[in-house]
Amino acid sequence: MAWTFRFLEEIALADIGFEAEGESIEEVFLGATQALLESMATLSTVAETWERAIERSDVDPSTLLFDWLSEVVYWKDAAGVVFRKAPLTLTQEHDTWLLRARLIGALVDQDTQELHADVKAVTKHLYELTQTAGRWKARVVLDV
Amino acid sequence: MSLNTDMTVNRITDEIWEIPPSEKSGMLVPARIYATREILQAMDSGVFDQVTNVACLPGIRRYALCMPDGHWGYGFPIGGVAAFDVQDGIISPGGVGYDINCGMRLIRTDLTLADVQPHLERLMTELFRKVPAGVGASGFVRLSREEFRRVMTGGARWCVERGYGWHRDLVRMEEGGCIEGADPSIVTDHAIQRGINQLGTLGSGNHYLEVQVVSNERIYDPVTAATLGITGHEQIVVMVHCGSRGFGHQVASDYLKVFEKSMRRYGITVKDQQLVCAPFRSPEGQEYFSAMNCAANTAFANRQVITHQIREAFATVFGRSAEALGMELVYDVAHNIAKVERYSEGDLVVHRKGATRAFGPGSPELPEPFRQTGQPVICGGSMETGSHLLVGTDQAVRDTFGSTMHGAGRTMSRAQAKRTVHGAQLQQQMKQRGILVKAVSMSGLAEEAGVAYKNISEVVESVDRAGIAKKVAELRPIGNIKG
Repeated sequence: MAWTFRFLEEIALADIGFEAEGESIEEVFLGATQALLESMATLSTVAETWERAIERSDVDPSTLLFDWLSEVVYWKDAAGVVFRKAPLTLTQEHDTWLLRARLIGALVDQDTQELHADVKAVTKHLYELTQTAGRWKARVVLDV
Repeated sequence: MSLNTDMTVNRITDEIWEIPPSEKSGMLVPARIYATREILQAMDSGVFDQVTNVACLPGIRRYALCMPDGHWGYGFPIGGVAAFDVQDGIISPGGVGYDINCGMRLIRTDLTLADVQPHLERLMTELFRKVPAGVGASGFVRLSREEFRRVMTGGARWCVERGYGWHRDLVRMEEGGCIEGADPSIVTDHAIQRGINQLGTLGSGNHYLEVQVVSNERIYDPVTAATLGITGHEQIVVMVHCGSRGFGHQVASDYLKVFEKSMRRYGITVKDQQLVCAPFRSPEGQEYFSAMNCAANTAFANRQVITHQIREAFATVFGRSAEALGMELVYDVAHNIAKVERYSEGDLVVHRKGATRAFGPGSPELPEPFRQTGQPVICGGSMETGSHLLVGTDQAVRDTFGSTMHGAGRTMSRAQAKRTVHGAQLQQQMKQRGILVKAVSMSGLAEEAGVAYKNISEVVESVDRAGIAKKVAELRPIGNIKG
């Protein structure tokens, strides 16, 4: 795995900020998704009993990442679940980026899962997806 | 004076500080920060940057304001207040926040500490069971989509009609717990799906339910306190802090996207992506206002259902009905909302984000119980230090668009708090100090430790001295439920 992420302290006093990096856009998507999932629960405590396939596309990868992370937050409330993992692929067809992902997790269970923040939203505060010297980087701030 | 900004900040009084429009290109009005010198010096740089960004928004009147509990937020700072002309001004989700009508509610009781102390463990367990908290929690109220739409228009009134509360509760809420102009037809399916199962849930983060004590020596205005049902003598009260849950969060997210696109069409530019906005009179502006009112009413309903559950829990533990226990509502007030209010400039869209309406006794909008006292202002502190009850003033109406502070305000990041404090240890230490905490998430508990917040007493003192709210009583925690 070539992606990484780290939580940021200096830009989100009351909330959660993180920066994800990877050698490809797909890797930075994976890193950012992992950071979001870990913000909500300790992944090893979540079973794999709920699954949802998701496809999204956009010409702008930055918009696609924002919408995808927002979709994860949506399913947390809409299905009452937390997540164990979210394998995904990202491909480019002509000008359009296509995301194919699976959200895998379980219904919230306070007795067995180690739960963290109830994320309200992915924000545009300092949000960016950039490419520098061959590495992709995403900066995301979550409202919690 | 050393501040976290290079901008010029002029002293107006010991509690009011002004940044002139010359400090940032595009500022249409000055920015004013309410704070003591000490609080101002501790404010993060985001406050100065964001309040001056707000001062650049079209149609702003008089000042962009920040209250003493202010800190960095999204678009507006937390503690931000700004009023825009309804004709040529804007409305911005960044001035309301993601948690639309996040607010505070205070319930009094006839019980004393001596009555409750022997049963505190059982009471907190019962409250923890009846009021779901934390990630993904769902409430006991099952709604069809049609019924959820009635919640959006009816707010707390819907709850009372369904038996979740008393008719007299409604007079003790901002707007009677039901704001006109909510249109469910423009709310997205996503928002409905996110919120439909969450009525009666607390959420997480800084949201809580707290059992508190009011001692005689902490009542600063006994006459006003007594009028509001606060009698002291180690009286037990219950405070609730929460909002519109996933439904409101989705409404905010939906309209940030809508405004991002429409803003270009209206030729509006903003200093920060989170300040996207639309002219208030535009179709997009009116749609957001209606959708926001749907979420605001859902928040009133959420706190009303929680109140019903609190009353049931107390009745179960103490073997008497909630009415017999004197569990009357003191007040329910929003601190994340935009409303049209009339001031000397005319009708204005007042945005309060982490700021509380604070109408004084002279305000014709207040119902009878508050014509003598002014509107109750409920300010939540950290779970270790306590909270405050204040009342609004006519000076607040004149000076700050009838607004004041809402809480203590953070000073430490969540990550730093988790490194400094261990959740389980904190829970144990608080128990030794007589505060019983039930929490879904131990890391979430650590993030909300008292050291992560400003000293609320200093913050309250500053608004009292500035005359934009008057202290009534301090409320000390003995039991807390966190998500």
